[in-house]
Amino acid sequence: MKKRLLAATAAAMLGLAMAWAAPAAQAADPLTLQLKWVTQGQFVGYYVALAKGFYKAEDLDVTIKPGGPDINPDQVLAGGGADVVIDWMPSALATREKGVPIVNIAQVFQHSGLELTCRRDSGIKTPTDFKGKTLGVWFSGNEYPFLSWMAKLGYSTDGAHPDVTVLKQGFNVDPLLQKQAACISTMTYNEYWQLIEAGMKPAQLIVFKYQAEDVATLEDGLYVLQPTLDDPAKVARLARFLKASKQGWDYADSHQAEAVKILLAADTAGVLTKDHQTRMVSEVAKLIGKDGWGYLISADYNRTVDELLSTKSTPVISKKPEGAYTHAVWDKAFK
Amino acid sequence: MKRGGSHWIIGVAALLFCTLSRTHVSSFHATPWITAGIAVVLMLTAMALFARGDSRADRLASPLLFGLLLLWLWEMLVFALQIPFVILPPPSAIALAIWNHLAILRIDFEQTYLHAVVAGYAIGCGAGFLLALAIDRSPFLQRGLTPLGNLISAMPIIGIAPIMVMWFGFGWQSKAAVVVLMTVFPMLVNTRAGLAEYGAMERDLMRTYAAGYWQTLWRLRLPAAMPLIFNALKLNSTLALIGAVVAEFFGTPTRGMGFRISTEAARMNLDVVWATIAVAALAGSVSFALIAMIERAVTFWHPSLRDAEGR
Repeated sequence: MKKRLLAATAAAMLGLAMAWAAPAAQAADPLTLQLKWVTQGQFVGYYVALAKGFYKAEDLDVTIKPGGPDINPDQVLAGGGADVVIDWMPSALATREKGVPIVNIAQVFQHSGLELTCRRDSGIKTPTDFKGKTLGVWFSGNEYPFLSWMAKLGYSTDGAHPDVTVLKQGFNVDPLLQKQAACISTMTYNEYWQLIEAGMKPAQLIVFKYQAEDVATLEDGLYVLQPTLDDPAKVARLARFLKASKQGWDYADSHQAEAVKILLAADTAGVLTKDHQTRMVSEVAKLIGKDGWGYLISADYNRTVDELLSTKSTPVISKKPEGAYTHAVWDKAFK
Repeated sequence: MKRGGSHWIIGVAALLFCTLSRTHVSSFHATPWITAGIAVVLMLTAMALFARGDSRADRLASPLLFGLLLLWLWEMLVFALQIPFVILPPPSAIALAIWNHLAILRIDFEQTYLHAVVAGYAIGCGAGFLLALAIDRSPFLQRGLTPLGNLISAMPIIGIAPIMVMWFGFGWQSKAAVVVLMTVFPMLVNTRAGLAEYGAMERDLMRTYAAGYWQTLWRLRLPAAMPLIFNALKLNSTLALIGAVVAEFFGTPTRGMGFRISTEAARMNLDVVWATIAVAALAGSVSFALIAMIERAVTFWHPSLRDAEGR
């Protein structure tokens, strides 16, 4: 009985404390961020900013929504399910051409992490050897860089007798382990290490980085809808979001072990492993770039657009996009 | 045309008003809404009149008009409420997409339906049927196989599909394997239930004739099981299609209905996605109808199929 009374008193005290704190908590501006993929090292900066209270310090109440194979961030954005989404530029531009007014406000990864990883025993030494081979490609918006690369090489990917046979690979590395494909798509920070963890030796693999082949397109960037940018209050909110996110990324870079801990704690599915995430966090740090966190460099943007326009057979976009990115939010945050 | 003329005229008038209101729905005046109101009233009137008719054409016209009404309402609402194309394209855009992508839709249909679904369905239903016979014959198998069948049927498709890709490759064979796993169990359960459908009187009669197990099976039990077996066949025809399409989300060559749906959805070509869905729905309905027709031919004697006049 006594215990119960004690508990009730404690609960009442807690309630009072909450009531005190409530006005402060309510004032924080809500903001929902939709990730492009599941919770993992690729997004470590946002999780660190959330866990370390950087968002709170900017008076933001941020909700991070993990993505997955069946979640198209642009569609979530168009449907009003998020304020900011992370997407790759090719799929964002394709969506924009379909009439969704999606705009890049920050380019978080200045370097591309996409690569084709091949088995050495398939006989592939250079990209010209792809002819007649079976290549695994991710779809769901990630196929655009590949298609424009093949167009550049002059190889057809569909029809009755394509030069390269394309497989829509799942999000695992089995096709290469089982020799179902000569090459598969990997990310420098993720699937390549899955291959190594599955027992392949780096000497057995040959890697073609899109960045090195000069066919790279911009990957993880932050996107919002145009109407959001027409509202100064919302632009200010987004600027605060960028500021706190940069803090998170900087912190993750300099405290990688702690960042991995934060990630593992945020992983509701409980599928992340410490080793793999440690690698991912350190590899992702290399993609951020040194030219001002999140600043979209016009040259990179133009290269991406040219890359996408060059695909003759299956045009990703058919005309040069207008107003597909803005520096306004970045300037407000960091200038 | 004894008194059928009037409702045909009303039906045509309704369609006319539908097109009238659709053509200038984007301009927000009262006219499209007035014509739309008239169209709905005419439609419903025509449907009610057709529903009373009893010629074949009359009976077909009513659901057809209803379908058209739904499509037209969808079209009007998408335009009037300005719903974004990526959320829900209007039926006119979907029809256009079907027309523009006929070649692709045909290739996808071949890959998914003619290869994966047909093969998987045949193997799955056949295996389910034979397993049911084996279980019926031997109590040992009954105790061993039934839980196993239960287990297989309870496996989630998104878990099986990637495994099948590992075992059988990226081609349609792995999708057929998923279909087999999905269709075996309903067939097994229904056939087993069907084999217990005969009455004691018939069984005693067979005994009196000194019929053996196989004769009894062939002459009495299988015919009695037919309604339930066809039940499973109908159920499986839709299950097989769903199974094959979903299995194609997990590693495919660059064709197939599931491949098309998942990639085009990501490319925001929702009109192509809906076009594929339309093909799938049509294929599913046609296979269902086909099996229902065979069923009528095979189990014409069954009480459930006799009409009131005892024909």
